[in-house]
This record gives sequence, C-alpha cells and structure tokens, in this order.
Amino acid sequence: MVDESKLREKAAEVLAREDVRRLIGWKRGTYGFEAAPCVIKDASEAEALIFDPTCVQNPASFITLEEKKPVPRGQEADTRKIAVMVKGCDSRAIVQQLVEKAYDRDHVIVLGIPCLGVIDRRKAAALFGDVASQVSAKVDAEKVAVDVGGDVKTVDRKDILMDKCLRCRYPNPLVYDELLADEVEKWAGDEFADVGEFEGQSPEEKWAFWEEQFSKCIRCYSCRNVCPMCYCVECVVTKLQPQWTRRATDISENTVYHIQRAWHLAGRCIECMECQRVCPVDIPIMTLNRKLTRDVKEMFEYEPGVDVEAQPLLASYNPQDPEDFIM
Amino acid sequence: MGDYKFAKTKLAEVIGAMSDYQVVAPVESGEVVRFAVVDDPAKVTLEFSNTNVPPKELMFPETETLFRFRLGGTDLEPEVPDAAARRAVFGIRPCDAMAYTIVEKLYNWDFPDPYFNNRREATTLVGYACAEPCANCFCPSLGGGPGSEKGLDSIAFDLGDTMYLKTLTDKGEELVKALGGVLESAGEAEARAAAKQVEEAEGKIRRSIDTEGIAEHLPELYGHPFWEQFSDRCLSCGICTFLCPTCHCFDIQDESEGLDARRARMWDTCMFSEYSLHASGHNPRPTRKERTCNRVSHKYSFFPTNFDAIACVGCGRCINYCPVNIDLLDILEKSKQADAKEAQDA
Amino acid sequence: MSAEEFEPNIVAFLCNWCSYAGADLAGTSRTQYLPNVKIIRVMCSGRVNPLFLVNALQQGADGVLISGCHPGDCHYMEGNYYARRRYTLMHKLLEHVGVDPGRVNMSWVSASEGAKFKDVVEDTVTKAKEAGPMEQFRRRRINW
Repeated sequence: MVDESKLREKAAEVLAREDVRRLIGWKRGTYGFEAAPCVIKDASEAEALIFDPTCVQNPASFITLEEKKPVPRGQEADTRKIAVMVKGCDSRAIVQQLVEKAYDRDHVIVLGIPCLGVIDRRKAAALFGDVASQVSAKVDAEKVAVDVGGDVKTVDRKDILMDKCLRCRYPNPLVYDELLADEVEKWAGDEFADVGEFEGQSPEEKWAFWEEQFSKCIRCYSCRNVCPMCYCVECVVTKLQPQWTRRATDISENTVYHIQRAWHLAGRCIECMECQRVCPVDIPIMTLNRKLTRDVKEMFEYEPGVDVEAQPLLASYNPQDPEDFIM
Repeated sequence: MGDYKFAKTKLAEVIGAMSDYQVVAPVESGEVVRFAVVDDPAKVTLEFSNTNVPPKELMFPETETLFRFRLGGTDLEPEVPDAAARRAVFGIRPCDAMAYTIVEKLYNWDFPDPYFNNRREATTLVGYACAEPCANCFCPSLGGGPGSEKGLDSIAFDLGDTMYLKTLTDKGEELVKALGGVLESAGEAEARAAAKQVEEAEGKIRRSIDTEGIAEHLPELYGHPFWEQFSDRCLSCGICTFLCPTCHCFDIQDESEGLDARRARMWDTCMFSEYSLHASGHNPRPTRKERTCNRVSHKYSFFPTNFDAIACVGCGRCINYCPVNIDLLDILEKSKQADAKEAQDA
Repeated sequence: MSAEEFEPNIVAFLCNWCSYAGADLAGTSRTQYLPNVKIIRVMCSGRVNPLFLVNALQQGADGVLISGCHPGDCHYMEGNYYARRRYTLMHKLLEHVGVDPGRVNMSWVSASEGAKFKDVVEDTVTKAKEAGPMEQFRRRRINW
C-alpha cells in the first residue's frame, strides 16, 4: 500500500516545480464509496489527495479532456507539464496515448502507484446497500477491509473488487517517472474465459442479448467521454456531414453507435473498464471490448498499452497476418 | 377524495384491471428497472428505490417524431402523429411527478407544446410514496417529500402486506372506477400508517440544501474560478442532464429513409460541447467550466427567474450516477462561499 | 418469405485496380455473375472504412463484400494489408454482436480473375440467402 503522506509530499513537491501546471490525482468523494478525481494547481491543495481502493477513476482520461482554447494574439501557449498519478491499468492508457503520439513523453510527469485492486461500486452496493457516509478501504493480497463510518468490515476480494482487478495482469505501472510505493506481486492471469463462454452462443442468442442491452442505451456518451483512448476532438458519432449515426435513440442507431465505439477501440482498449463502470443503465460494454482484445492478442500477438515503442495495431501490418476466412 | 387498499399479492390483478388504459409501470429489463408499457402485469416490480432513467421520458420521449413527410416536390404534407393514448402510469415516485409540474411551465410558456400537453392530459399518474429514500435524496429542500402529492392524481403507499391508495383528483378517481371491484375501501388506520411512514422516511433523508439567495448569487459567479474544481473533472457526458427529471433540452433533426422523412426531436444536453457550437465555429461555452456553470445556474437561477420554480426536485440522480462525483449539493454549498468580486477579476 | 424467393441485396466494395477490373473482365468475357450485387468502386480496399459495412447493413444490405488485390499486388503497395486487419476485426466484432458471419465477406480478386469474381459473388449470395433478410439493426425496422 502506498503511504498517503508520502504521496501528498511528492505531489506538493512536483506542483512546486516551475515547469508543472497541474496535477491529476484522487480525493475523497462526497459520499459512500465515491472517490473524486481531482485536478490541483497549487501545492497547498495536495493535502486533499488520497489513494485507496475507492480510487477507481482513470486519471489518464483527464489529460486529453482539457480543452485547448485558441491562444490570443501576442500571448504564448502554456506548455508546462501535467503531472498525473496512475495505477497499473491507468498507466497503460498513457503508454497507448504515447504510442499514438497524443502528446510527447515530456509533456507528462507520471507518478506511478502499484495497486492491489479497486472497488466495484455495484458489488459494494450489493454488500453494503446505499451508503451515505464516506467510506475508506484497504486492500491486501487476500482481503479488502472496508471502513464505513468507523465500522470496519473485511470482505473477500472477489466479492467487492472490480472484475478487471481479479484478472489484472499489470498491477504495477508500466510507465512512470517515479514510483510512489514498492512494486506488488502479480496475482492473476487472464484466460478470457468470459469471452469464450459468450462466443459459444448462437448468433440468435447473441443478438437477443445485445438487443436488450442496446435498447436501454440513452446515448449519454459517457462511455465514450470517460475512455482515455477516446480523445478525438471531433467524434464520428456527432458529425453531421456526413452523418454516420443519427442522434435518434432506437435499436438501429444504438447498435451502430456501440459497434462504432468498440471498433474504434480495436487494438487500443487498455481494459481500464471505465466505460462499463460509468454506464448509467448497466450495459456490459466490456464484453465487446474484451472480445476484440482477445482476438487481437491471438491473431496479431499484439497487446495495446504495454510498449511505448510499439506501432499502433491498425496503422501497421504483417504480410503473414491470418487470412483463412478470406475468399 | 377516496381511500382504497388492496393486498400486495394482488398487484398483478390490479394492474391487469386497468385494461381501459395503456398501463405504464416500472419493469425490470436487462438488470435495470425502467418505466415501460406493461404487456404482462406479472412483470411489474415495486422493488426499486427509483428508476435509473426518470419517467420524464413518458411525457418527453428520448426521440419523438414531430411530423412525417415525403421527400421530393414542393408540397409538404406534414402528417402529425395521432393524439396520445389514454394511459395510466403506476408507480411513479413523488419527485418525478413533481418534475412534471415544473417543466410544464416551460412547455406552456410562449407556445403551448402540443406533444407534451397531449401526453400529460391523457395520463393519469398513480404515485408510489418512498419508504426508503436513497443516500442522495434531498426532495424536502425543494418543496417535495417522500409522500408529496404534487402533480399526482393518486398516490400509493406500501404498508407491508397491503397497498394503500389515496386518490387526489377526479382523474385519479376515474381510474379507480375503471378498476371495478378489485379495490377495497380503506379507513383511518391505513391513512395513519401512511402518514407515519412518510414521516419516518423524511427522517431518513440525510442531505439538504438551503436554497435561499442562490438564485440571486449564481449569475454573479459567471467565470468564477471556483467552478474549475468541479469542471476540471467533468467528462462532458450527458448523464446528469439525461437522467434529470426536469432537464428538457432537445435537438431537432430531419431524417429520411428513401422518400419517407420525418422531423424528430431528441434529448440534448448542455454538457456536450456541440450543444452551444455555432455554425460559424464559435462556441460561447468553449470549456467544461462554462458548461458546468450553465447547468447549475440554469436550474437554480435562470429557471426560477423565468418561471418562479427551481428546476430541480432533489431526486439525487445527477449525484448518484455522476462517474466523477460532481455533487450538485457540494457545488451549491461552495457557491455560497464564493465571492462575486473574484469572478469579475477572473 | 421462403429461402427460394428471398433475393439478398449485396453491397460490394471493389478496388479500382484489381477487383473492379476483375468484375469488368467477367462482364466483357460474358461470364454472368448474380445481379444481387451492387458494386461500389473505391480506389483501394484500404479505403474501405469498416463502418461502411455496418452502415450498409443498417441501410438495406443483406450481405457485404470487400474485394481487393491479392496480398503483395496492391497498387499502393500495402493498402490491402491494412484492409485485411481491419476487416478481420470488424468481422469478429459483428459476429460477437450476433450478426450472421456469412453476411460479411472479403476476397482477393485480381484483374485477370473474372471467373473467380463470379464464384465469389455466388458464394456471398448463397451465404446471405442462408442468413436470410437482415433485420437486426436495419433502419427500416424502426417504426417512426
């Protein structure tokens, strides 16, 4: 576990540097199992920073969310760095953004935090119900200790941690300037058993499942906006000329939206699972992403977000790529 | 008006007896509870604190055809959709019903909106009082409450084994008549139990906001740096607004399939950057800071200025579902401390 | 509608340099290919955004076909290699959503393979016939 006082100290030290503009980390949320990602600009605010298993959000998303306003004539753009705290999975987003040249490596200062898992709010609600008071938690290799208003309960990891954590392959940050705690030992592998199970169904069964799921979608685009890899300034789904997807919410447009979204993450999804977490109508979005992740791994031996020197999957090719289903 | 009751086990029978109406009720589909037209009364569930998607979609659907037409030629022969079907909405929470009384002021402002009004007219609302408010409910602060009757035609209370139904308007009474003999009449005891339940539920509500002075203060804070502590983590998604029972903004688009075409309106949200984007490319609300400011100010200042009602019912959805914990009450409390002078300097 | 009566609509994206010329050769050599196929000429199979396939299926196609030069023969050296990767993944994704895999096809047809083009079209049509009319996320399904 990371020592929070050390984390705050480090944050304050980084923020005090002249070439640093802001720092993205987490602070305690206003209720229940919530943590809030926060962007701080002054070393004095570093006191609010925390890191514990409630810190689910991926801070890498906020690097690219910041709007670039036109610089007034006679002024110069602020090119100071952004510092960002990352867990293992979050760091993969930074790697992939660097692979895609979203920004330069010099642009960010990465403070890595080895992580043993974060809490799934839905699982927590099933265990604890609707919690109003602020919750903190501790996690180790066996258990999660949840502190609800002074009342500490110990819970089994699989009952409360996010699914991504139970099969986490990269608990330690893959890119960082400084590591804020000792590396942790990897505890799991990923066999993509869930993907295989879903694939076993007939096309009719699969569609029946997705038809129900997609028809719930209200197209709030939260899954898109929260995604650290969805950082296009202009998105294909909001374009009007040509209009690829209509704004109408019906099964036809919703399906096409979800196919587009998943497709644009082919070979890019770093499995932070934020899309599924934020969905207000509980669509299992990762089921689509994980299918592609597995296929990309098997067919092209490619894994996004692990190697800064890698080529983007769809901007490269191998003459020996599989093609047995091509006529 | 009348007092009625029925055994909770007979819920499906009661819903089934509403056959003169198109019945809309909370139904579980794909792991979430949402209001939908009931085809099988057995599917209706009362096991929910509140639906994720508010029942505003019953009066203001996500996507709604305004009229249809044929492409080609110069004669437009718009075909306006039929008037709304007579329907009964069963199980709507008091906060969501109160939201209709707020947005209907806007829908009848400079132009009475026939789509909204037709639906509202044709609908009988049977409320469902809250016994277990959720962590972020704050309806009493806005004039509502777990047993609020605002906007409702009748209200049901879950008293354990029995459901107590109190009618509030002629429309509500009419629905009861249409039910035939399924209901029994209720007495003092049920009314007392219901009142006690409401009182207890109110006691369980943990959050509140004193709205005094907010409407006057917020416009002075345009551009104030305090917004940034929230907007810096905003995702610019539509959760807070799409799930808000009083948010009512829409976009209008023409769509065609072959020669058939329609003009439709669909939910839009001020949190998208495209919302305020001008054709020229200029965007008067270029960053999330202005958009966050606009959302809160619209609810708590601009709307009350125009319509004498705060556009918020305290259902807590925007707080519950915000993926990055942007907490409306937190914003409002902090806005009170923010100094208008700093906004001018900024 | 029985399988015999159903004539699927096929949208084919053919590259300018090989497959379109292959289709042309089929025509000039009087090799009849099935008329279900509607051809859209593109400069290279690498130009085919996989979303074209999705939108075609949404807007009226019962099956789609992408066809380009054989690997190594691309007029632009490598366009078909990119196309192959993209197609592979879109094919897998659509299959996962429940779209019959027979609706989405890709082939390599060179300018001299008029006969192969005919076979490819026949195959595509047969598979689309087996899959039946595309209903799943067809826009027409939506009752305005």
